[in-house]
Parts: sequence; structure tokens; C-alpha cells
Amino acid sequence: MVQRTVTVGSASGLHARPAAIFVKAAAAQPVRVRAIVDGKKPANAASMLAVLALGATQGTTVTLEADDDAAGAGRQAVDELAQLLARDLDAEPGDG
Amino acid sequence: MAELLTDLLAPSSIRFGGQAADWEEAVRQVGEVLVESGAVAPGYVDLMLERERSVSTFVGEGVAIPHGTLAARDLVLHDALCVVQYPRGLDWHGDDVRTCIGIAAAGDGHVPILAALAEILMEPDRADALRRAESVEEVLALLTPDEEPT
Repeated sequence: MVQRTVTVGSASGLHARPAAIFVKAAAAQPVRVRAIVDGKKPANAASMLAVLALGATQGTTVTLEADDDAAGAGRQAVDELAQLLARDLDAEPGDG
Repeated sequence: MAELLTDLLAPSSIRFGGQAADWEEAVRQVGEVLVESGAVAPGYVDLMLERERSVSTFVGEGVAIPHGTLAARDLVLHDALCVVQYPRGLDWHGDDVRTCIGIAAAGDGHVPILAALAEILMEPDRADALRRAESVEEVLALLTPDEEPT
């Protein structure tokens, strides 16, 4: 199992556009990634409802975890999603 | 714990039998309910449309949660919710929506509101009942969380 802990960088927190970008990226991973916020049930990172239920605002600490395999798919997924979470996705233009 | 969703939802802001040609018309209708309730200034509605064009507020379970952009916060007079039922369904950027929950929140208020809503919708039976609800009492009961498990 691999874990990465980051703080949410998006100004509006993990909802709307940032949540949509994050959930889409999580769903595209070959492994299942869990997002964990203290005091909340671990969320399937690819589920919009589960991610919204975390109630993460800018600065909330989120731990991402996945099972790793020999090819390192879990580590790569967790690293990629952690980088996304740490960025201010509200400030970036995108195609949604 | 965030304030209860039902504290933010006036019975007069729960509407049934909504009809709209598309999501855009629905967002305008939902926004108008928030304006009528005195929760937001009229300009809020355009910023709800802007948010919706930028990214769909569909959250799953036949529910969309239209709300304004970050810039719209100044137009929020007090935090509030509204519910508009669309029993015929709406094509929401390709998703089927039956229930619109409009949100007006200043500051970071929308995050705990969304979290509370999401927790409710993660119960499939409750989400299904909400999509079908036809009375104010039903909607309020479904949006009232069960006893905290912890």
C-alpha cells in the first residue's frame, strides 16, 4: 500500500470544478484510490458523491492511498492525484 | 457539524412539477426561487449559469446542485437552499436529472452543505425517494440526517 498526504490547494475547496477534475483523473487510474480525511469515512476517489462528502476546503489535509503492484501503478496514481489536489484548480483554465 | 440542511430550506422554496426545456432554463428557474426567497441578489442567477457552463454541477443519483461561481459570493444575502423537482427529467450535459438543489452560500459555507448533501445521496434508497418526493414534508424528512453513527 502506498500513501501520500497533501493539503487541498484549490481556493473553493474540493467541490465543483476542482472535484470534477480530481474525480475524472481518479477514475482514469488503473487502480482504485481512496481519499481519507480525518473524521470522515474513506472515500472512493473516483466517486463524486464520496469526494464531496469529505467536505474538504482549501488547506484540508487529505491522505491518498492505493494498493501498489510490481509495476508501481498505485504509487504513480497516488502521486499524480496528490499533485492535482495540491494545485489551485480554480485558478487554472481548462476544458472541464 | 454543519448546520442542518433543513434549517436552510424554507418550505416555500421547495417546488414540484418543474418543467424546463433544458438545463439552462432549469438553472434560471432554480435561481429565481433563490431570488424570490430573498437569499440572493438577482445577479446571482447569471453566475449560476456561468458555473454550470464551466463545469456540470451534476453530482450523481439524478441530482444537480446549481450554485454561483466564487465571484457570486458577494451576491449572497443569506445562506439558503431550494429544491425544484423535474419529474420528467432533464438532459443535464448528458446526465438525467430529476432533482435540482440550488445553493446560495457565502464564504466557505457551500462545502459543509455539499458534504451533508452528498452523505445523504450516498444512501441509494434515500436518493431514490428524494427523486420521487412529491410533498414538502417528504423532502424535508429525506434531507434530515439520521442520528450520527458515532
